[in-house]
Amino acid sequence: MTWLDLLGLIPQLLLLVGATTLLLAGAWYREPQPLFAGGVLVALLAALAAGTCPPPTTEIAGLFHSTPYARFFTIFWALLAACSLLLSLRFVTEQGLPAGEYIALVLFAATGMTLLSAASSLVGLFLGLEALTLAFYILIACNRRCPFSAEAGLKYLLPGAVATGFLAFGIALIYATTGTFALPDALHGLQGESGLRPWGLLGWGLFFCAVGFKISLVPFHLWTPDVYQGAPAPVAGLLATGSKGSVVAALIGMLLVAGPLWHDLTGLLATLAAVTMLTGAFTALVQTNLKRLLAYSSVVHMGTLMVGLLTQTPAGLAASIFYIVVYVIASLGCFSVIVSFAGPNGELQELENWRGLGRRYPVRGTVLALLLLSLAGLPATAGFMAKFAVFHAALQAGLLGLTLIGLCAALVSFAFYLRVIMLLFMADESSASQPAGSVHEHAVLAVCASAVVLFGLFPGILFDLIQRLLP
Amino acid sequence: MTLTTALPSFPWLSLLIFLPLAGALLCLLHHRQATECRWLALGTTLATFTVTVWLFCIHGEGAAGWLRYEEATWVGAYGIRYSLALDGIALLMVLLTALLQVVGVLLAWSVQRQTGLFLALLLTMESGLLGIFLAHDLVLFYLFWEIALIPMFFLIGVWGHERRRQAALKFFLYTLAGSLCMLVAIIALYLIHGEQTGHYSFLLSDLLQTRLTTAQEFWLFAGFLAAFAIKSPIVPLHTWLPDALTEAPAVGSVDLTGLLIKTGIYGLLRFAFPLFPVATATFLPILGVLALIGLFHAAWSAFRQDDIKRLLAYSSISHLGLVLLGLAAWTLTAWQGSLLLMVTHGITTGALFALVSMIRQRTGSRDLRQLGGLWSQAPCLSAFFLLFALASLGLPGLANFAGEILVLLGTFATHPFWAAFGMLGVVFAAAYMLRLVQGVLWGEPGPATAGAAAIADLDAREWLILVPLALITLWLGLYPAPLLRPLEQPVLALLGGLP
Repeated sequence: MTWLDLLGLIPQLLLLVGATTLLLAGAWYREPQPLFAGGVLVALLAALAAGTCPPPTTEIAGLFHSTPYARFFTIFWALLAACSLLLSLRFVTEQGLPAGEYIALVLFAATGMTLLSAASSLVGLFLGLEALTLAFYILIACNRRCPFSAEAGLKYLLPGAVATGFLAFGIALIYATTGTFALPDALHGLQGESGLRPWGLLGWGLFFCAVGFKISLVPFHLWTPDVYQGAPAPVAGLLATGSKGSVVAALIGMLLVAGPLWHDLTGLLATLAAVTMLTGAFTALVQTNLKRLLAYSSVVHMGTLMVGLLTQTPAGLAASIFYIVVYVIASLGCFSVIVSFAGPNGELQELENWRGLGRRYPVRGTVLALLLLSLAGLPATAGFMAKFAVFHAALQAGLLGLTLIGLCAALVSFAFYLRVIMLLFMADESSASQPAGSVHEHAVLAVCASAVVLFGLFPGILFDLIQRLLP
Repeated sequence: MTLTTALPSFPWLSLLIFLPLAGALLCLLHHRQATECRWLALGTTLATFTVTVWLFCIHGEGAAGWLRYEEATWVGAYGIRYSLALDGIALLMVLLTALLQVVGVLLAWSVQRQTGLFLALLLTMESGLLGIFLAHDLVLFYLFWEIALIPMFFLIGVWGHERRRQAALKFFLYTLAGSLCMLVAIIALYLIHGEQTGHYSFLLSDLLQTRLTTAQEFWLFAGFLAAFAIKSPIVPLHTWLPDALTEAPAVGSVDLTGLLIKTGIYGLLRFAFPLFPVATATFLPILGVLALIGLFHAAWSAFRQDDIKRLLAYSSISHLGLVLLGLAAWTLTAWQGSLLLMVTHGITTGALFALVSMIRQRTGSRDLRQLGGLWSQAPCLSAFFLLFALASLGLPGLANFAGEILVLLGTFATHPFWAAFGMLGVVFAAAYMLRLVQGVLWGEPGPATAGAAAIADLDAREWLILVPLALITLWLGLYPAPLLRPLEQPVLALLGGLP
């Protein structure tokens, strides 16, 4: 690693140094508010650094890209970490958790996300993914007084460990057959090979199993609802958005440089995508817990994103980038509403408890409805343009079957999102009094809601930006 | 710049769409002051109506091609354009929308619960509906198509009657299922057109140039048809409408029957027919038969209803059957009749729904078995009820007659048998309408009418709603020519598209 490489890693270094400093500061200084202010500042600085310091090289140590694409997601995840910290302040204060550790873990996770989305080799990908996952093992179980939290931690740890094993073994097989970790080469090397090719394919198969665990594709999705339910809402929000988003971003980055290659795997992945969309949508229909419902909703979204990836065309990848950005914003917003309604006695999870809440708290109710409708893909919200772009690319690439299945899942999705909205606004009973939520949470909500409307009405802004990121 | 040069270039169509939206935003901001919101909404709808009347005055003569056209780039990456176009057909639908929304706001005056929100949704829906009739870009059209759904979903679900939630969900999912099929067809058509010409565009005028194979045409036509047949509703797909209409609040019923289901017919003749002429030619006979089945089935169902709103819902389906019959006949006279019938049906059935809500407010019932003998207690209300019921059954001299006779005449020219059966259907309409009038106005007072101590006659607001509608009903019955004139050129252009 050279001096130039370090210069290219400035945003990540900022995050790491900031996290470590805050961790140490937290040992002496217990007041959460200034620590959180410091954490948000560090995240914003990292985003600023990624945006303003042009990287001297396009690749760092043969592990990570520092292309505009990688930089875009570095900024995005840093901002996400800032939002996530804003959401966590009240939770950490009320539960009396050590603020320094919490902030450091969130920033470490953010570092992992930025590295993962920038990975240019399988080793870089592994490093980023593990950095991210390790932080989450602790974050999910951080609320030790809550038994569900500990259970969720264990449920994330065990499949996570298995997935790590799959990933490491898969990478080893790929390395054995192609002789390289570098991403386009590891894929290209597979094409010409004859004798070792099945082992390489097996390696890629294992790789995608591990990815399937991380972004919860069916049948690797079973941990998702339990973990969402048990994890504290701010952490679940980060898990639903950043952890999944960065894995998808890494896949998109890989395909961007690799070009259309994997016809051996596409059949399998297409089946996975179709099963994921349908299972997620129909299972979400019968959920009675909002966080579990959001978990299955994320399963549907990941399936839809797989359709975007499977197109393997520049248009499809651009659409997938748009989709992931919009999904992260809307999903984070939904979790911030849950956070804002959480009090010292816990969170509102059961849908029954949300009955009539939209009438009593019209602003937050309307924002939640808007975000859910965006997740569902109603026109004039950003979610519609995202679905439109993905299905457009899928039709262009000739994936008619997947498109029809995707639209079928979208229809079912509308049913379960509308069920929540109906509970919020159309129930006869009025709900009990709930916490008002802090200013920080409302600020995050405002950002998410306005982004969803802005990108819905003027999607060109984001599309043009994405066009400039593509090589 | 003088007024005469500035006025024509002003983006009137955009103003039409954004004026109600602005009103909706203002209503949301002031949602705590109910009275202010009411006046604000009334002002907005009246202003919109004035603009449409003005447009009608300057474009009432009709012309070939677009009367007005506005365009701007919206999403450059996909060639989606913000493109609005007005021709004679759209002009008529826009006029009807603006009129019924004024009536809607006056009707909503009595809404007590969350008035500001109610009016905001109503105004948003007006924007969506106007957008549907004006959009010339298919994605823009789809956007407005869905935007009009959400306010109606909330109007039914929040302010509706007993089984409102199920009805709202059924309404939404039914129509959405159709819309998604249309979305696939829209994107597929766009891709085929783009590959042929290298010019990717969602503009209707561009997509009309696409050369399609027969198989492609049939599949794409099926996608569009799914959306429009559910919305219109063509008979096997109509089951959502009686539920939605019955459970919706008064304004919701007026908008649903007067406007929202008309968007299905409008979509058929504006998009589905011209884009896929070969498939249309094959489908027209089926459409004619389905229209006749709908006409009779719905009329028969209407005859058997005791709930007035359900009866009117089936009567709407029956009337829409006649409209579709006119479209299937494919002659100028029949199409003019269909379009005229769409407008007059919106007005007469809208008025009937308004009257039903007035009766329900007074007696607490809309069950034919509970009502009766209203004439002796509220003669003015009853007189209006009779007038609109007679107009609805097609009494000569009142609005619906002109449309119905044109449809039947035009159909007779090409399909005499269809016209003969259609005539029978009109007789059916007389049967259920007279049963309705008999059950509500005449006979012994039922439990609901006798129970209420004194049933008040119309108040000033209700006079204000009913008198203009009655005058229009009379005027269109006696002299419908002003509405037919702008239709002639665009209808001829559309009719000429068949191979």
